[in-house]
Amino acid sequence: MLLDYQNTTFEVRDAKPDIAILPIGATEQCGDHLPVGNMNMILDVLARRVAERLKDTVYLLPTMPLGSSGLHWGKPGTIALEWSTLMQVVYDVVESLVTQGVRRVAVINGLGGTNETTVRPRENYIVKTAVRQLNYDLSELDAIWVQPFTVAGKDLAQILDAAEQDVHAGELATSLMLYLDADAVKGKGVDHLPQAGKEYLDYVAFDKLCPGGVWGRPSLASAEKGEQALEAAVQRTVEYIEESFAHLATMKRRTYY
Amino acid sequence: MLDARNTSKEIAEGRPEIAVFGVGAVEQHSIHLPLGTDWLGVSDLTRRVARELDAFLVPALPFSMSECHGPMAGTVWLKPETLAAVVRDTVLALHAQGFRKVLIVNGHGGNFVLEAEIRRLNLNYPDLIVLMPPSFAPRPGDPKILDKGVGIHASEGETARQLYINGEHVKDKRIDYQPPVGREFLDYAFIGFISEWGVWGYPSYGTAEKGEKATTHRVARIAEWARETFSQVEVLRAGEEEA
Repeated sequence: MLLDYQNTTFEVRDAKPDIAILPIGATEQCGDHLPVGNMNMILDVLARRVAERLKDTVYLLPTMPLGSSGLHWGKPGTIALEWSTLMQVVYDVVESLVTQGVRRVAVINGLGGTNETTVRPRENYIVKTAVRQLNYDLSELDAIWVQPFTVAGKDLAQILDAAEQDVHAGELATSLMLYLDADAVKGKGVDHLPQAGKEYLDYVAFDKLCPGGVWGRPSLASAEKGEQALEAAVQRTVEYIEESFAHLATMKRRTYY
Repeated sequence: MLDARNTSKEIAEGRPEIAVFGVGAVEQHSIHLPLGTDWLGVSDLTRRVARELDAFLVPALPFSMSECHGPMAGTVWLKPETLAAVVRDTVLALHAQGFRKVLIVNGHGGNFVLEAEIRRLNLNYPDLIVLMPPSFAPRPGDPKILDKGVGIHASEGETARQLYINGEHVKDKRIDYQPPVGREFLDYAFIGFISEWGVWGYPSYGTAEKGEKATTHRVARIAEWARETFSQVEVLRAGEEEA
């Protein structure tokens, strides 16, 4: 059963959701070919499909449309929250749910991708720390975070032609948008692969590495790849959420101090 | 190299180009390693790196984000905002004195706020470069030093390094344990729920000899990476776009 912002408060109360899902997106420049809101558009669909496929009763929250986009500061349309602001947002939203009796929250954080890990989020990096802090502070809560295209990283490597080169507005995001809303994609996008590694994103603004606002190969994108990638991400995200909550249920029965 | 045993005048006259700042921790390290493992480790590591880079060595911060070990005795922790504020204030104090290159060395795996704060400092201060070495992927030709890998907590790598720099405080009896979940479970549960004895990895494989080799290798990698990255970031910031 799925509840969301179209339900009444009494419907949510009576349904007693087992899990709440909070997607966190971003609004930022994504080259000349993708809309600044593409991550939110992708997450809206992805999170809903995840929520529908989970066996539990789920309360699906609206996608938080603003995130950590400081790298694209000054580029028209980009809205950047400081890390401390985004951390507070995640914290406050989850804490609201906990006061109402929700005990399991899965944060679907951005997209992720092949070559990423479940230890380090690619987008909205601070979400990891927010989730960690919530788990420490609220002993009745199990909160987890997941990046859908990271847990589907192996599938993605098969579906895309250059998954390992895909960082921003590249083959993945462009394929997903061609599948979900082709009218919103303006042209093919200009491929760009900087020589520097991804760690340079901590040290210089994005356009110093990628003047065209793209890191990856959008020219390889297709709607078919987008459809397959989205399906893989939905399935792997569902599996990650179910397995993680099952592990935590066992672990937290242990007493150790 | 200059450090906190020097006078202010000596530091002004020495004009070191780079400042090095280590972030340690005081937290449980299973049954065999001392609480101060991370702080002692990063103090030793940053001293060696600062020597290589002829830098100013700031005394390492003893406390950081150790709350995942919170319920286990002796552990002390800072909240993410607190750690970020300490690092920010420290870096900006150095900046006010004319330092333009700061190398942060993280001695504790759970300090995930550091990268976010370093990114913010770099974006907000165009004349300041703050770097933090990544965990280096092995390169062809690298010596194979550890049998079971670095591990997550109180494991082979950490035990080896403590045996090398602080051997008299390492206990002989050690427990090996590899939890059946990913490292991100430290975001979801206190470590005692994941591993009863607070260990994640294979400490029984640690030896002082491995610790010495790993330390030498790591110091060389960090120094080489820092030199190369400081100069590459200067080029990129100057606006010379890549081919």
